[in-house]
Amino acid sequence: MMQKKVCMLGGFAVGKTSLVRRFMTNVFSDHYQTTIGVTVEKKSVSVDNRDVMLMLWDLYGEDELQRVRESYLRGSSGYILVMDGTRKATVDTAIALQQTVVRTIGTVPFVSIINKSDRRADWEIDEGAIEQLRERGWTVLFGSAKLGQGVEELFALLATQMVSAPVLPRE
Amino acid sequence: MNRQNSDFEPVDDPLFNRVLSTLDVVVLERSDNGDAFHLRGLPPEWWCQRVGPTESPVLNSLQWSPFLQDYVADHHPAWDDKPGTIEKSGPWMESDRQGCIMTLEATALSIGSRRLLLIERLGAGFAQMQAIVQRAREKMLAEDVTMKSHRKAETSLMGQLEASERTKDDALALLQHLRLAALVLDERGCITFASDRGLEILGCTAKHMIGLAWDQVLPLQPQDRSMIREMIDASSADRKVGPLYIGGPRPAWVEMEVHRDLRQPGRQIVVLNDRTELHTLRQALSEQASFHDLVGKSRAMLRTYQLVRDVAQVDTTVLIEGETGTGKELIARAIHFSSARTHKPFIAANCAGLTDSILTSQLFGHKRGAFTGAVTDQQGLFEAAEGGTLFLDEIGDIPPPVQTALLRVLQEKEITRLGEARPRKVDVRVVAATHHNLSEDVIRGSFRADLLYRIRVARIQLPPLRERREDIPLLAHSFLSQLCAATGKTVDDLSPDTLRLLMSHVWPGNVRELKSAIEFAVISCKGRDILPTDLPPEIAAVPVAPNPSTWIPLSGQDEKSKLLAALADAKGNRTEAAKRLGVSRATFYRRLVELNIHPS
Repeated sequence: MMQKKVCMLGGFAVGKTSLVRRFMTNVFSDHYQTTIGVTVEKKSVSVDNRDVMLMLWDLYGEDELQRVRESYLRGSSGYILVMDGTRKATVDTAIALQQTVVRTIGTVPFVSIINKSDRRADWEIDEGAIEQLRERGWTVLFGSAKLGQGVEELFALLATQMVSAPVLPRE
Repeated sequence: MNRQNSDFEPVDDPLFNRVLSTLDVVVLERSDNGDAFHLRGLPPEWWCQRVGPTESPVLNSLQWSPFLQDYVADHHPAWDDKPGTIEKSGPWMESDRQGCIMTLEATALSIGSRRLLLIERLGAGFAQMQAIVQRAREKMLAEDVTMKSHRKAETSLMGQLEASERTKDDALALLQHLRLAALVLDERGCITFASDRGLEILGCTAKHMIGLAWDQVLPLQPQDRSMIREMIDASSADRKVGPLYIGGPRPAWVEMEVHRDLRQPGRQIVVLNDRTELHTLRQALSEQASFHDLVGKSRAMLRTYQLVRDVAQVDTTVLIEGETGTGKELIARAIHFSSARTHKPFIAANCAGLTDSILTSQLFGHKRGAFTGAVTDQQGLFEAAEGGTLFLDEIGDIPPPVQTALLRVLQEKEITRLGEARPRKVDVRVVAATHHNLSEDVIRGSFRADLLYRIRVARIQLPPLRERREDIPLLAHSFLSQLCAATGKTVDDLSPDTLRLLMSHVWPGNVRELKSAIEFAVISCKGRDILPTDLPPEIAAVPVAPNPSTWIPLSGQDEKSKLLAALADAKGNRTEAAKRLGVSRATFYRRLVELNIHPS
């Protein structure tokens, strides 16, 4: 079976672990538990009738306390950039992380998601900021790990992009 | 020990095993081709639980967790081109066979030619670090929430402020458009707001008004100020007063309404209505018909009103001349109440028919024991009128000794009480009145010339009623209203015949006689209108005097002969003679005395 390493990237508390948990076990917890280090989960998805094993690397959130190790990124076939709609600063973090990924492993498929669409009224990320991300060539999805909205689509879209993308040799 | 010694075999060293066990570290050695890892030394218990029982010291890395597989598959300079360096994987989490989560960290290093992989289970130190990061991030999130809440509150407040500013601007524009004059007072009575129109009326600028107490700023008369203070202190919601005179560069008459600010009960909203024009018109209208208590709109009376106003502006002695009943005392009062002495006493004294000692005592006061009956010290009218006005009626009747004393008072502005030697300073304006021709009295020697010149600095001559007949209806109606109010009787009007009679009467007693006649008629009246039969008989019955020239001027021999003729016609009846001449009995008597006529 084809295996694809996928890194979950984003600022702290944007909901990376929640998205993975919702995807893996369809469970959500409101309790925030920060991730230190990496947790790797595996899940098989079907893309064009081909089974693909996604190795989901749930990395700790990027902030001034923890910087993402470039070694974690190596071997990734794709990545997901997660932002928190209620915190505009998470867009800047996502942009910085995306640049780090490109610097480290080159161009691989990625999808971005603005999480917490269940709190749309509190969103700080406005249409202008989203438009700017799209102008950068980003695929921007909206979702809510809490409600399970957009989660399946997120992983399915990335899996499709990864399957159709050329395989890069491991550094 | 030589650490680079390839012969070193720690596997057999019991000490090495104990050290590894204590540090909770698994030591694996990578095979030369990199396909397999050999366990070195005794592994900790968690490792056995994780990988399960195995007899072989050669481990298959494909059974390891994806993270560890990824890590060992990665290129590590420590194993290849940079021996002596140490490379850490960073922590990762995985569960053991029982499902317990462990946090592990791998380290790649080389010793000599041997490539080692250490796997360490992170313990209490890591948990502590994790707790610190957790707390720090929770704090950051909480601060973010607080900041957002503050920002939201700030935005909301800014919005409210903006809306409030807009409302204020709209309200100001409306005030401006309506030309509404308004002030807002705070709890301490300080002005916190003044509309442009308010500033315009008050003749002040905002700079000189805002923040100051209203009673310090508003150019009000003292009595109005205290009235407004009472009104502001009153508990009723809305209060109105005015029109009040506002001084300053643009004098105005305003009506003031004080409203409690319902939002803040301690605050007051004062609305000023400029009534200057209305007041001026009303005053002009009123002045056409009356002045103080004087009634009349004849040209002679209007001239008199103006004269009174002029005289009131100065502080000189005034002589009022006129027949009895023409209202000399009313003129004196009008002068007083139009003058700056208005808040000081006005005292009227009739000088006629008094002996010089009584008059002296009355005017100047006396000391106890000064004469029989002077049981206490007594101040005189001059002292009683201190700062005000003393009206001396019938001044022509003052005996010569009193004239001398009076002259001294007018010259020196001091009086000496009877029985005292010490003079006392007085500040009194003297207004004198007489029906005499004082010039003639001077010639006759009955009145001191120097006193006449002293009291006749200003002079007002009151016309008799017969010379201002057009005022009779106005006066009659005025008296009718007064009397009806006083007696509670309802009499609406005077019949045309009554009015004709009144108009044709000579009125020797002038306005006083007219007032008495109306009083008599009101008492007699049985209907809604006063009829001729309600009037006193001498007015109702006596035929109208054919010619108003029957009035006797106070001069010449002609007067004497007319008096004598009237007496003869009335067969010596003085009352009848007076009636025929159109003068009062008192005047007639006085004239007889003055002209030295002694009818038998």
